[in-house]
Amino acid sequence: MIRLALIAALVAAPALAQDFSEGSEAREWGLFAEQKARFTATVSDPLCELAGDCAPDCGAGARQVVLVREADDVMLFPMKNAQTSFNGPVADLAPFCGQTVEVDGLVLDDPEIGAINVYLVQRIRPEGGEWQRANTWTDNWAEKNPGRDGPGPWFRRDPRVLERIESEGYLGLGEEADKAFIADWF
Amino acid sequence: MRLTLPLLALLLSAPPSFAATEGERLQVTGEVIDTWCYFSGVMGGPEAVVGSAHHTCALWCSAGGIPVGLLTSDGTVYMVLKMDGDDQTAGGDTNLRIAAHTIEADGIVYRRDGLNYLIVEEIIADQDIINQTHDDFGVIPGFAIPKSAAE
Repeated sequence: MIRLALIAALVAAPALAQDFSEGSEAREWGLFAEQKARFTATVSDPLCELAGDCAPDCGAGARQVVLVREADDVMLFPMKNAQTSFNGPVADLAPFCGQTVEVDGLVLDDPEIGAINVYLVQRIRPEGGEWQRANTWTDNWAEKNPGRDGPGPWFRRDPRVLERIESEGYLGLGEEADKAFIADWF
Repeated sequence: MRLTLPLLALLLSAPPSFAATEGERLQVTGEVIDTWCYFSGVMGGPEAVVGSAHHTCALWCSAGGIPVGLLTSDGTVYMVLKMDGDDQTAGGDTNLRIAAHTIEADGIVYRRDGLNYLIVEEIIADQDIINQTHDDFGVIPGFAIPKSAAE
């Protein structure tokens, strides 16, 4: 019986979350379900992986990208970069489309709300290269938005965000709803 | 019962419990959410980072290229890889225009390694923002509306 239990445990092992924290230098964010995770993976286009709908250069920054981990073929979804300013990691990862890279960051594992194999990438190292921080998004935004210099973070100056707020309001419910809320909020 | 070593090796080499599947046609209704705030809890519990309370932050995250999801009434989250046929989901205009809206979508769902991935081929209906959470939570984060808006 003990042998059968041991075998059952071994068979179940691949389904359990593995620990990829060894060697990680990721900064903790204090998130509920975070674990440090450093691993080798291929940068890929999820539409290509899942549906065979492949774009050159994984969409060249326009599509989302995924990381297919070398150790177990698990596909992780990198949703966040190393910056704390409401932006994602595609600008950092897409240049490595189809390449094997090492990444370091935080994986979230909170099945209760569906967060499985969700990743925050903090640094990337291409094969034979040096580590680089996953923090290029704001520089890319500045290049794409010349003349938008000014005080405050990018999201206070982004023309598309400002246009949506102008159109729908901060609550998304229109000007009158905003007026009533703001009068009470401040 | 005795398990031989070859059989044991075969069992141990079985794929993980989350394996890739074929796509399935799906019609689903849900709210277009900011998946990072929802999954990470960085702004608070999941009930606070949806709807009108989180609309402005959802705009920031969508414009910032964070993936959007479709959250259904049963709590399922579908990671959107195309929205209304548009594959520009890393900061594109289609997702930005419908941040926090509830939509009816028709598309193909794929499941891999614990996540649901949805290719929305068509938005059948856009119900706008119907999840009015600001009465309960204010705005999340609290600085979403600048003080200058009150002047």
